[in-house]
Amino acid sequence: MTIKVNNKDYQIEVEPEMPLLWVLRDILNLTGTKYGCGIGVCKACTVLIDGIPEQSCVIPVSYVEGKKVTTIEGISENGEHPLQRAWVELSVSQCGYCMPGQIIRAYYLVSKNPKPSVEEINREMSEHICRCGTYNKIREAILFATKE
Amino acid sequence: MEEQFIESRRRFIFGSALTFAGILSGFPSVNKALSELVIYGKENKVMSFTPSVWVEITKDNFVVVTVARSEIGQGVKTTFAMIVAEELDADWSKVVAVNAEGDEKYGDQLTGGSTSVREFWTPLRQAGAQARLMLIQAAAKIWGIDPENCYTENSFVFEKNGARKLSYGELIDTAIGLPVPPVNQVKLKSVAEFKILGKPTKNLEEPNIVKGKIIYGFDYRVPGMKYAVLLRCPYIGGSLINFDATDALKVNGVVGVYQISEGIAVVADNSWVALKARDLLKVQWDPGPNAQLSTDQIFERFRKSIVNLKELPKNTVKEIQVVYEVPFLAHSTMEPMNAFANYKEGKCEIYAGTQNPQVARIRVASALQIPKENVKVFVLNSGGGFGRRLEADYIVIAAKISKLCGCPVLFFFTKSDDIKFDYYRPASVHGIRAGIDKDGKPTGLRHKIVWQSNSLPLSPHYDIPDVQNSNESIWFGINEGAWRSVAYSQNNFAMESAVDELAYLAGRDPFQYRYELTNDQRLKRVLSRVAENANWGGGLPKGWGRGIAAFVGYGAYIAHVVEVSVSEEGFLKVQKIYAVVDPGFPINTENIKNQIRGAAIDALSTALYAEITIQDGQIQQSGFHNFRWLRMDEVPDFDIEILTTSDRPSGMGEVGFPSVSPALCNAIFNATGIRIRKLPVAKTPLTLGDNSNVQEKSFELIAYPNPFETDVKIEIIPKMEFRNHLNVMIYDFLGKKVFQPKMKFDGIKYFVELNFENFPSAVYYVVILQGNEKISFPILKKR
Repeated sequence: MTIKVNNKDYQIEVEPEMPLLWVLRDILNLTGTKYGCGIGVCKACTVLIDGIPEQSCVIPVSYVEGKKVTTIEGISENGEHPLQRAWVELSVSQCGYCMPGQIIRAYYLVSKNPKPSVEEINREMSEHICRCGTYNKIREAILFATKE
Repeated sequence: MEEQFIESRRRFIFGSALTFAGILSGFPSVNKALSELVIYGKENKVMSFTPSVWVEITKDNFVVVTVARSEIGQGVKTTFAMIVAEELDADWSKVVAVNAEGDEKYGDQLTGGSTSVREFWTPLRQAGAQARLMLIQAAAKIWGIDPENCYTENSFVFEKNGARKLSYGELIDTAIGLPVPPVNQVKLKSVAEFKILGKPTKNLEEPNIVKGKIIYGFDYRVPGMKYAVLLRCPYIGGSLINFDATDALKVNGVVGVYQISEGIAVVADNSWVALKARDLLKVQWDPGPNAQLSTDQIFERFRKSIVNLKELPKNTVKEIQVVYEVPFLAHSTMEPMNAFANYKEGKCEIYAGTQNPQVARIRVASALQIPKENVKVFVLNSGGGFGRRLEADYIVIAAKISKLCGCPVLFFFTKSDDIKFDYYRPASVHGIRAGIDKDGKPTGLRHKIVWQSNSLPLSPHYDIPDVQNSNESIWFGINEGAWRSVAYSQNNFAMESAVDELAYLAGRDPFQYRYELTNDQRLKRVLSRVAENANWGGGLPKGWGRGIAAFVGYGAYIAHVVEVSVSEEGFLKVQKIYAVVDPGFPINTENIKNQIRGAAIDALSTALYAEITIQDGQIQQSGFHNFRWLRMDEVPDFDIEILTTSDRPSGMGEVGFPSVSPALCNAIFNATGIRIRKLPVAKTPLTLGDNSNVQEKSFELIAYPNPFETDVKIEIIPKMEFRNHLNVMIYDFLGKKVFQPKMKFDGIKYFVELNFENFPSAVYYVVILQGNEKISFPILKKR
């Protein structure tokens, strides 16, 4: 089958029920999308499918045929998206492992709501777990990136 | 000197070619300079200057700092790079930090006990100053002037009162030929001269984190590699009787199934095939001697040993005899344990996130029965550590599998494996007897700790006379390991709670009481600063409470004030956390704040929810769904103040943990009068329900059994016909709606049977709205 990831077409030969996460990581070598829990709870594996955040660990690859998948590698050429710049500016991360998923979610949030309130950020971002406890900084960075 | 120099050059040629090529493979974007380093390294060209194992200066004027402690989210790479860059007068925008491989030449590489900064502060400063001195000497030699007439700034050497300048990169050819001055002869800067240290500094790893470019163990890739998972006996201390891999081996893409002492390994072309095939293994386990074991039993046995705490001195007029309990905890890092291993012809190469690479190297060598020199352990950034990665179990398993299957392999734990096969934070039961005299001053303290470990309780950091500590170790075969702040995480909860109880027993303010109980000026200062910042003693809204606690350790001091509110229904909200930390000298205030906030959220998450329980010899938790963690909408706001009190820094990764849980429980006591002596908080109802008024209500509520294991029946019996709609909701203890049950009516009562199988064991509240009436009733899921 053919899948489109970050605007690039990939020809792959895998079983249709293989979760998108493992296709990205083990077949396409796009390791920015992380395995966290494998059951859609921690959201570390979040990617965009036609612009909507989904848990790639529980989505069969066949589901994305004909759809557009966006991963952390695809949201900017070289980390210049305002959210990425805000993360760097404020030193948001500690271990950093959950951040690709967090940034993908934040990217979705600001794409539908360019000036989210604290409550809106909380509601959207509370889908995700950060074991290092960087939540206050993530919120601050989203506000920072959208303040203009 | 000459020997050291040769050794340094050799390190570059061999070390760089291997470490950089390894770390940077599939990692093209660290920056251009490093990519070039890899290429030069491969050609064995000496193109960089390495006066010590810690610092390397490249031709294109980059400073590469080799960091021999593991980056687990505590910011050690940025911190170490700052220390070197400061003394080197390096241009911070051209400083790169790389991970050292596991090797004794780097000294002690165990990342634990918040020792990294304290142990490396002087050696890294000396390394920076040593390199700087040699670069000055090189410039002086080229210009034919006295080194005294040179100064350095932003990776350049300048001629004093002259126009000449040379970049460090331009000086390396000359510097390489100079003798290396002994480190104890180099002059270090005074604090007043610092330009980088002591300032908020951005995380060097962040630009790669936000692009998904950091290579964690899980992300290490080489051509032809395979992926492996392990099926292990779910019974603690159980063993394998036999297994049948026929169906697993039929799965397309399975390379092989191998038995090792830890379990049955499935190796496949990709992670998913390995997982799918693992599910098809047919296995018979012998549950072994612990088939009946439960944490209920363990705690019951621990409690039994809390007897006959010794009499207190005669001047005691009032006393407390209390028992505190804390559960086993899993580390539950974001990145489950994993390691890449490549065994080939008697040699083995490891790439992994580890807090203990030298020990991993020895363990792998011993497991594979090859000399240590034939094992290389390359350290990758860890997706969280918290003490878990001090163990080498997952690295040894990876190495064994690679040897058996004969190919490079990435072995990983699933999230469920990660929680079920952890080295847990020990559970403990603390018996405390303490008293006060007629003036309210402590007269003595007896503290007996009962747990699996064999070590004494830690003494309080207050001046309490006649402290007598004792312990009893009862082993149940549960693997235990280090946890953020290790035994302080239990002991400080017990001590700071007990001191709070004494303050209330004496009728004293808990802050004032603590303040007067110490002559340590640094402790007094963090206590009084945090009380001031939190407006201690000032008014609070109804249902709110404040708690205070302190901690001394890792060379640092900290005090926390936690503000909570408890609603009429019993819902707890942690409103705000104030922290004042005294690290001595703060290296990077930005990172310190991150650590203090992170440790507090770690401590809050665990104190509120977390508990590993055992039933029928098996760990019951399996993921973030039943081993919960706080989310963004549940974390409080923070107010953090960092004091500067000396020229020496201290450990910041763990200090923020131990005083949070007691400050939290002291605040709950202040708000409700309910003293939490058993963690997690989730197991204690913060309201007894509105039972006193039930008689006046137009309905009666019964929940049974309560506490319950998985199912609970709820009955609502109207005393008269309801005129309004009956609204029933189930909330968790933080006031989040869990679900809304559909009530049935049999003509006499409304009823429903609820199943809590997929919910963590905790208090839940049944909240009933009927017209203007409201009842909140706690139900407890036991396990």
